[in-house]
Amino acid sequence: MDFDNSKPIYLQIVDFFYENILAKRWHEEERIPSVREVAVMVEVNPNTAIRAFNYLQEQNVIYNKRGIGYFVSENGFNKVLDIKKIEFMEVILPDVFKKMRLLNVQFDEVKNSFDQYVNNIDHEKK
Amino acid sequence: MKEYNIRRIGNFIYRDVILLRGTITTALSVVSVLLFIVILFSLRKDHVVVPGEFMSVFNKLYIISGVLFIFSVLKETNTKASNHLYLTLPVSSYERITAIWFTTGILYTIVFSFLCFLVGQFAISVGSIFSETNFHPLPIFSEDYWQLIKFYFFIQPIFLYGAIRFNKNRMGKTLLSLLLIVLGLIFFNMMLYGMLNYGYDVFSGEELASEAFGLASKDFSGIEKVLFVGVFMSTMLLATYFKIVEKEV
Amino acid sequence: MIQIDNIRFYYPNSKVILNNVSLHFTTGNIYGLFGKNGEGKSTLMKIMTGLLFPKAGYCRILNENTFKRSVKCLQDVFIVPEEFELPGVKISTYERVNSTFYPEFSKDQFYKLIKEFKLSIDQKISTLSFGQKKKVLIAFGIATNTRLLLMDEPTNGLDIPSKSQFRKIMASSVDQGKCIVISTHQVRDLHSLINHVVILDNSNVTFDQPLSTISEYLWFGKPNQDDRASIIYSETSYGGKAVLMRKDHDETEVDLELLFNAVISQPDQINAILKNMYHDERV
Repeated sequence: MDFDNSKPIYLQIVDFFYENILAKRWHEEERIPSVREVAVMVEVNPNTAIRAFNYLQEQNVIYNKRGIGYFVSENGFNKVLDIKKIEFMEVILPDVFKKMRLLNVQFDEVKNSFDQYVNNIDHEKK
Repeated sequence: MKEYNIRRIGNFIYRDVILLRGTITTALSVVSVLLFIVILFSLRKDHVVVPGEFMSVFNKLYIISGVLFIFSVLKETNTKASNHLYLTLPVSSYERITAIWFTTGILYTIVFSFLCFLVGQFAISVGSIFSETNFHPLPIFSEDYWQLIKFYFFIQPIFLYGAIRFNKNRMGKTLLSLLLIVLGLIFFNMMLYGMLNYGYDVFSGEELASEAFGLASKDFSGIEKVLFVGVFMSTMLLATYFKIVEKEV
Repeated sequence: MIQIDNIRFYYPNSKVILNNVSLHFTTGNIYGLFGKNGEGKSTLMKIMTGLLFPKAGYCRILNENTFKRSVKCLQDVFIVPEEFELPGVKISTYERVNSTFYPEFSKDQFYKLIKEFKLSIDQKISTLSFGQKKKVLIAFGIATNTRLLLMDEPTNGLDIPSKSQFRKIMASSVDQGKCIVISTHQVRDLHSLINHVVILDNSNVTFDQPLSTISEYLWFGKPNQDDRASIIYSETSYGGKAVLMRKDHDETEVDLELLFNAVISQPDQINAILKNMYHDERV
């Protein structure tokens, strides 16, 4: 795993979990790799991996079955979706708005762009 | 005892022997070939190997290979690149000195004598097939043989000490110090002799000087000799032990 | 695990390398030991393994002085030196003759690690490159399962894929019972493994903090205009990164290189901040 330096590694591991859950590689109520396995996978100190697991537990995305391991929560997918949506609305969008004002981009232009993008994807699917 | 464990000593000896396998095999092959040739030569003259003939070649080979073996075994201690790993190996200094003494002393003597016996006997067998030589046992355990073993065990601790004490040119420095010790002893004896026999004017005549040498060697005889050798050996071994304890990289 | 008290060390006829150094290493951590060239990292590691004797002070493992090199002590320590030579025997032979001295040695683990490092136990060590020899020794060191594992520049001589293998292997072998100390210049190779930073400078310990504390109080990155006041150290190059007091900024990953430079230039200020604004007595 390549780390970028701006975000703490444990949060980058959390993102890696989110990605796997959103992409349905890890399903709800399914066992996920252990702390040690994750540490080896992403080449980090197991203490850092534990921090990521604790964070995800606090978010109720995963839970621990004593002696068995960690599992994705019952509605983990939706939880991740909510978390990522909030992140999008609160972090990514304000950034985009800031740039839009700076470059004097009108909302209609963005809307056209977006429609076109959706169209393209629909075409590809067909 | 936690710091003295026979099995660990055994493992340490095994380690030394295995790691030096290549060197040992080469050295023993060279010795075997040399001995074989020399014995064949001695058979050519009178078709028999007498103790003196065998010992005159055996003693040189035995002492030289012994000294070389001591320095090979202790090479790891003074090589900058390998002494980290050697000194951090969980073996106590008592165990190290015991193992090294045993390997370069008893184990070496037994293996080397046995090999020379085999080679010599083989040479005699070969001789008995290709010449008029009658097959006869090799006379190895002569009086001289035991004298030689005693001598080797006497000098062994000195070389052990030298091999650990000196970092560079270990063999040269050890030999040099040995020479100095011997010269010192001789000088000391001469002085002693000269002082005690002041009236004879020791340092003037050749004859008396040589008598002093003779007396120097006679000084240690009987029980005194055993005592001296025993004390000297244990002192050198103790000194070697402390050198191991104090060894830093 | 290992307690170092007021150690002083110098080589014969040369300047003092370690002066009044005190450190405490505990199990469950991977320590990164940093310092400029010649600041005594390797010397400290040699003292910790009893290969050098401190001129003053103590270095103890479980209450036993390391310079005594007692069996009990040595069974709990393994050092992977920066430069070394191994005997020219097969890897399996090397394992056979040396492993018997370590009570917790795991042969399975050693063979597994050798395989992970893409070596074969039948290879003769004399035919290996230096990097491969290093892998043999690292694998052996991990498999001894000593509680204290010291590594001096372990990634020197490893090629790029091997560095990743090394990180994976380290991540899998650390556990609560082990204490690992790694000294290195190659900060980037190891920054994801280390969870505690020790920096030696001017013959002394100038910095000794867990990463969690560092990321709690310091912020690493490109500062905005309004952050000017809280800059502790910044790179001089244009758009350079800086170390700031974190205050209410989001947590960032600790940039070890930046931290190292900051500590070397502003040791007192940084230590004061990490001690939660209590003034260091030396200030």
